[in-house]
Amino acid sequence: MTMEKLLLRNIGVTDSHTLAVYQSRGGYHSWEKVVRNMKPAELIEEVKASGLRGRGGAGFPTGMKWSFVPKDSPKPKYLVCNADESEPGTFKDRLLIEQDPHAIIEGTLIAAYAIQSHTAFIYIRGELVAGAKILERTVEEACQARFIGKNIFGSSYNLDVIVHRGAGAYICGEETALLSSLEGGRGWPKVKPPFPATHGLFGCPTVVNNVETLAALPWIIERGAAAYAAMGTEKSKGTKLFSVSGHISRPGVYELEMGYPLKKFLEKDCGGVPNGRKLKGVIPGGGSMPVLRPEEIEKVNLDYESVQAAGSMLGSGGVIVMDETTCMVRAASNLARFYAHESCGQCSPCREGCHWMEKIFHRIELGEGQTGDLDLILNISGNIMGNTICPFGDAAAMPAAAFIKKFRDEFEAHIAEKRCTVSTQ
Amino acid sequence: MMDPVKITIDGKEVITAKGKTVIQAAAEVGVAIPHYCYHSKLSIAGNCRMCLVEIEKMPKLQIACNTQVAEGMGVLTQSPKVLAVRKAVMEFLLINHPVDCPICDQAGECQLQNYYMEHNREASRFEVGKQHDRKKTIFGPNVIFDGERCIKCTRCVRFCQEITKTNELAVINRGDHSTIALFNDRMLDNPLSANVVDICPVGALTDRDFRFKVRVWYLQKTPSVCPGCSTGCNISVETYQNQIARFKPRINDAVNSHWICDEGRYCFHELTGGERLTTPMIRQEGGLVPATWEDALQAVLAGLRSAKAAAGIVTGRSTNEETFLFARLMKKLRPGSPLEVCYQERELNETQKILMSPDRSPNFRGARDLGVRSNGGYASLLQKLLAGDFSAAYVVGEDLVGANGGGERLRAALQKLSFLVVQDIRLSETTKLAHVVLPATHFGEKEGTYTSRKGRVQKLNAAVIAPEGALQDWQIFLRLLDLAGEKLSYATPAQIFQALAGEVALYQGISYATIGDQGIQLGGGDVEQS
Repeated sequence: MTMEKLLLRNIGVTDSHTLAVYQSRGGYHSWEKVVRNMKPAELIEEVKASGLRGRGGAGFPTGMKWSFVPKDSPKPKYLVCNADESEPGTFKDRLLIEQDPHAIIEGTLIAAYAIQSHTAFIYIRGELVAGAKILERTVEEACQARFIGKNIFGSSYNLDVIVHRGAGAYICGEETALLSSLEGGRGWPKVKPPFPATHGLFGCPTVVNNVETLAALPWIIERGAAAYAAMGTEKSKGTKLFSVSGHISRPGVYELEMGYPLKKFLEKDCGGVPNGRKLKGVIPGGGSMPVLRPEEIEKVNLDYESVQAAGSMLGSGGVIVMDETTCMVRAASNLARFYAHESCGQCSPCREGCHWMEKIFHRIELGEGQTGDLDLILNISGNIMGNTICPFGDAAAMPAAAFIKKFRDEFEAHIAEKRCTVSTQ
Repeated sequence: MMDPVKITIDGKEVITAKGKTVIQAAAEVGVAIPHYCYHSKLSIAGNCRMCLVEIEKMPKLQIACNTQVAEGMGVLTQSPKVLAVRKAVMEFLLINHPVDCPICDQAGECQLQNYYMEHNREASRFEVGKQHDRKKTIFGPNVIFDGERCIKCTRCVRFCQEITKTNELAVINRGDHSTIALFNDRMLDNPLSANVVDICPVGALTDRDFRFKVRVWYLQKTPSVCPGCSTGCNISVETYQNQIARFKPRINDAVNSHWICDEGRYCFHELTGGERLTTPMIRQEGGLVPATWEDALQAVLAGLRSAKAAAGIVTGRSTNEETFLFARLMKKLRPGSPLEVCYQERELNETQKILMSPDRSPNFRGARDLGVRSNGGYASLLQKLLAGDFSAAYVVGEDLVGANGGGERLRAALQKLSFLVVQDIRLSETTKLAHVVLPATHFGEKEGTYTSRKGRVQKLNAAVIAPEGALQDWQIFLRLLDLAGEKLSYATPAQIFQALAGEVALYQGISYATIGDQGIQLGGGDVEQS
């Protein structure tokens, strides 16, 4: 893991969050280059060529997303930075917000320019109070330096950036729920079509990009799409941040070139499972993604395609490591409780199904599980999957099913013996 | 028609139009796709997931309410996947539902019951403790809420946002704690509030006036027209044991869409309540005493003929057929006497104006078209009455003194008349002043037609039977005409209508049979008359 850092290049530098330090390290040169020398269409092509994909979890090609915004729409266009990082096990955006906020702002400006938006919003998770203050100060600094405002770099391009704090709902990380919330409404996902690219914020063309996606843009502009595309695999280009937590010797945020071997990463870079214990399971992409057993990660590389081939998803890059002392019933129950609590309640399968699954997981954990409970959960999760307005239903259903399928013996023992057979707690 | 689009639904070719959704295209060819949140007059919510269908070549099921048709699209509404998801959605919707059908007012017209029978029919697999919610929560003067029966389809919320634009209702809380509540505790008391009961597909919102009165399967439903004002909203008069139990809107996009106003919905109480007159009465020394129809009608004839100057006032709730005969009778007995239909206006706010007309005279326009009109109009006629210009009056179906705020001055004026005949359904402040009282019928007991403010001729049907002793108003007029020497052989309101259609130019060419349940627009279009 001796590659050059793109996203974490300023992390650890004293006062990295200030404009002065950011500029001393080349900050805002990309922004100036974009405004002075690039047409929006060129910029979109450049980002398409880089192969950059959305880092919020879905991995949709960023340049392509921008290109869906109609150029001839008479309506205002909006760029929204999704800083509502809430996926269980994910804390990469928070690091960038707190330590390299100008990179996020610069990326936001570049993306806004690409779609010719004149108002950009940063929607930040309500609990990130310090982060919101930092971002506001960052925007203020960038305004004073005239990187934001009217006639930027003497051009006719104007842009405002508004920091908006969420009110603490996981669902508002879903882009259409985020837009509902930003509009002042209830944080409910919207039915699609229409899609945000044509009918987004206040019914206007809108692009929502994740913090990490945006933070990659200054480097791509500075060094060129080809340099970015030279890293990673055939379909997963560049680098990605991974938040590692759980039973691991060196938890934290790591930047890896796409395609880096998961096992090597955990054992060498993160120091492996501590206290001489054995690995039991890994969730590779945040709480919404299916858990993998140790034997399943042997050949997994950290890129979208490889993780998917192994039966999970790269998601947000939230890597949750569980050792042999982990009660998988408890882990599944804990996640189920999270999704039951966070379901927005809009559509029937998720509103009713998440709580139902949680209640069954809970009773198994309490030693009150019944024969048939496991098949019932699998059936409920199957009935939620694919049948909801937004991906939340899948996010709740996938891990529930995966825990049971992959650790069925442990669940059955829990039901049969009416107690936990793993944890000594 | 817009650009035609060819699709298949369950293998059958269907030609529909660009811009239609799958649920609309299917409905047009008689394929009912089950749904809760979808309502043709509200925005698409897409939340119930009951209308999921399979679209060939698409990996996931799609909601029919939000999927637009496209050339060559293959829609499957009965595939194994679709049947399975309907079963699953029904199960989800019922797990936290109390299944209290025996004590639920919606039973019998509940889409949870209906779709359970059609699409699930399984025992519940849910045994881990139902989520509870608020019971019998008053939302407004006419609407009460049971949170446990609610499926969060948000039709009621969208109605208050999009139709009345009054925004009283909102969804609060999250997940299975989600529920409907009054936004900022402001009561649901807009002029169309009770429509939320009609569009609620389940027993969550019920009608405070109607609930627990009758099990709905005992109701007899008669298509009719609202007697509340001259908008002419189409209604179903629903009765039990010869009593009107409720009004429900009937869909008519040319008039009232799917809605009726609360004033109209509950006006039958005022218009039909109280003790009924069941015998004619004639004033003797000391008061009104029962009389035979023969004597009472002779007294009317004599009283009107001998008066110096007479006037006729008919209620705006009289049918075209009745006013046609009334005008004819008065012309026969007192040619040239001024005739008027009761008509008073009030101010309406913007929400009221969605449906309500400023009057409370559903057939004022019809009456005027048929000759019940005088120089100066109703207000002027009242002024003349107060000024003592008349010595006799024939008042039909209206309590001028009591209900219409005529008050003491009008009472005094009516008392001075040498002859007053009042034809009504109950003893009112006005009938008490009469020399002859004739017991008649109300709108719910009548067949006939009303002509709305905008000139739409629509049919009333008798929903209940008039009490023994009362006569249909048209029969009273017919008998009086007969006594006066004009023999007419009409046996039904239909025959009277055909006669008036032959005489009155505006109605020419309209046959009673073709009026149907949706009415017929008169020539001259939407001419407002007031």
